[in-house]
Amino acid sequence: MQWMTLFRKEMIENWRNKKWIWVPIVFILLASMDPVSNYYLPQIIESVGGLPEGTVIELPDFAPSEVVMMSLGQLSSLGVLVVTLMSMATIAGERKSGVLELILVKPVAYRNYITAKWTVLIILVWVSLLLGMLGSWYYINILYGELSIQSMLLVVLFYGLWLTLVVSVSIFFNTLFKTPGIVAFLSIATIIFMSVVTQIFSHILEWSPNNLTLYIMEMLQTESIPSELIWTAIVTIIISIGLLIAAIITLRTKELAN
Amino acid sequence: MTLLTVSKLSKSYDGKNVVNDVSFEFQSGKCIALIGPNGAGKTTILRTLAGLLKPSAGMIRFSGISESDDIRKYIGYLPQYPVFHTWMTGMEFMVYSGRLSYLSEAESKKRAETLLEKVGIIDAKNRRIGKYSGGMKQRLGIAQAIIHKPKLLILDEPVSSLDPFGRREVLTLMKELKEEMTILFSTHILSDAEEISDDLLLLNKGEIVEKGSIIDLRKKYQTSIIMLEFTEDVEKYQGKVNTLTSVRNSFIERDVLHVSVSDFSEAKQEILAIAVKENWPLTSFTLNRASLEDMFMKVVTN
Amino acid sequence: MQEIIDSINWAIVTPILIIQGLLALVALLDLAKAESTNGSKWMWVFIIVLANTIGPIIYFIIGRSRD
Repeated sequence: MQWMTLFRKEMIENWRNKKWIWVPIVFILLASMDPVSNYYLPQIIESVGGLPEGTVIELPDFAPSEVVMMSLGQLSSLGVLVVTLMSMATIAGERKSGVLELILVKPVAYRNYITAKWTVLIILVWVSLLLGMLGSWYYINILYGELSIQSMLLVVLFYGLWLTLVVSVSIFFNTLFKTPGIVAFLSIATIIFMSVVTQIFSHILEWSPNNLTLYIMEMLQTESIPSELIWTAIVTIIISIGLLIAAIITLRTKELAN
Repeated sequence: MTLLTVSKLSKSYDGKNVVNDVSFEFQSGKCIALIGPNGAGKTTILRTLAGLLKPSAGMIRFSGISESDDIRKYIGYLPQYPVFHTWMTGMEFMVYSGRLSYLSEAESKKRAETLLEKVGIIDAKNRRIGKYSGGMKQRLGIAQAIIHKPKLLILDEPVSSLDPFGRREVLTLMKELKEEMTILFSTHILSDAEEISDDLLLLNKGEIVEKGSIIDLRKKYQTSIIMLEFTEDVEKYQGKVNTLTSVRNSFIERDVLHVSVSDFSEAKQEILAIAVKENWPLTSFTLNRASLEDMFMKVVTN
Repeated sequence: MQEIIDSINWAIVTPILIIQGLLALVALLDLAKAESTNGSKWMWVFIIVLANTIGPIIYFIIGRSRD
């Protein structure tokens, strides 16, 4: 099957260029960073010194759900940056180098080419997210108090949709431009733009994908899945699929020799 | 049997015509050279045939393939500067190419072995393509282009970037391949085209200026001129020369008789024979051959 | 200082240190095997070793010459 051939090629490529090693590690470090450093913050401040004698450092005791949100905060900034940077050349790079010319003169279906690349990136991102949040979960349970694994898996499930959207945005821009830097820049700009729009029109954009983390927090606090979360998840999936279809159409109508 | 018909093909970028109203067709089993100076539009035509570019106007039709079918299944294409996934080995890239062209895993492997052997890089099959030399990449390029046994093999300047050795090897390989499939290749060197192709398409500034079989074109342009000088009375001998069967016509320029002949060796014999027999006061007998090369040079330099 | 070192629960910090070390190690091995990089190899050695975590990431994203 042609799709499997493309899928396998992407998997092997990401293994040989070490993405399968460094992306999960980066996610683990990003997700574990805040749980550990916040726990040791008092000691760190004390060791740095300079505080007058008798100063009492009082930091709030974080609830496990708050610490989860810290981990997601790191992933939403640096994690998203890593996802866009590691996916910026997946198609653009092949076009720029000229390999694509050799591949697409073969009877390759454009939808296979795009969806195989998308799927491999999604698997990589989801596995990294899962490992990262398991790291966070490990530290939360040792340092802050109990958090059920089910809650954490639900967090992964819903937050994974956000990263799925990020990958889809990147794939879309990959078909439009052949300079990886431009692809990464526009992907990030789009995500920032979406977040600004969501804030300005918060009253009508209740189900904007940018609100996923908001509802995830609500889910952790209320220990139930709010209906807004479900709707936002559905909207996120629809937008991702839309971007994927747009990417296939763009690739099909584009003249690839340019 | 006609394999491909191109009619009134045009391709423009930003309103500028790179290929202008080009029409040609060719038969299955032939080897066709698309020849012309750099910038004539050769690459654009080949890319359009391979489906990488969309024509601005005109039609491309493959005989025996339905409109709805994916023509890429029947085409093998090698760009001028092929770029590979350098992290793959030669064998991996061949199998990848085969699988993308709907061959089974086993069939891809078998074809890959056969073809890598044929193009002479079987020893490097498990080496990363990043470590291949230019000639090896060119040969791998040809091998991957024919893994699915295409009806038409399109090669864009297949030998221009190679050293004399590599050039010789690739030309020999192309000679072998033309026995099995139709080949369309571009070149800016006439001798390469004359050596292996049956038909020529001469392109200049985006337009076809001449086309036909090598044999016909040679005949058409290989008019030979024999220049004769005499000590006296040129006109008298012009009349005699014109009666010879192998002579087409003649003219006098600065007392030199220019004789245009159809068959060069026959004319040489006839003229020399009569000159000896009648004891002509000949002072000079000069042969001047105009060839396909001259015609090509004229087109290219104009 | 000794107090702080004692107070740190090494069972907690060790996994992070190991993972960071692993990341740097993989980056260095990849660098050693690479035929060419964007920028000199020695520069990347310094970046990977000195800039903890960020160094290897930057190497993987922009240091590897793309295929």
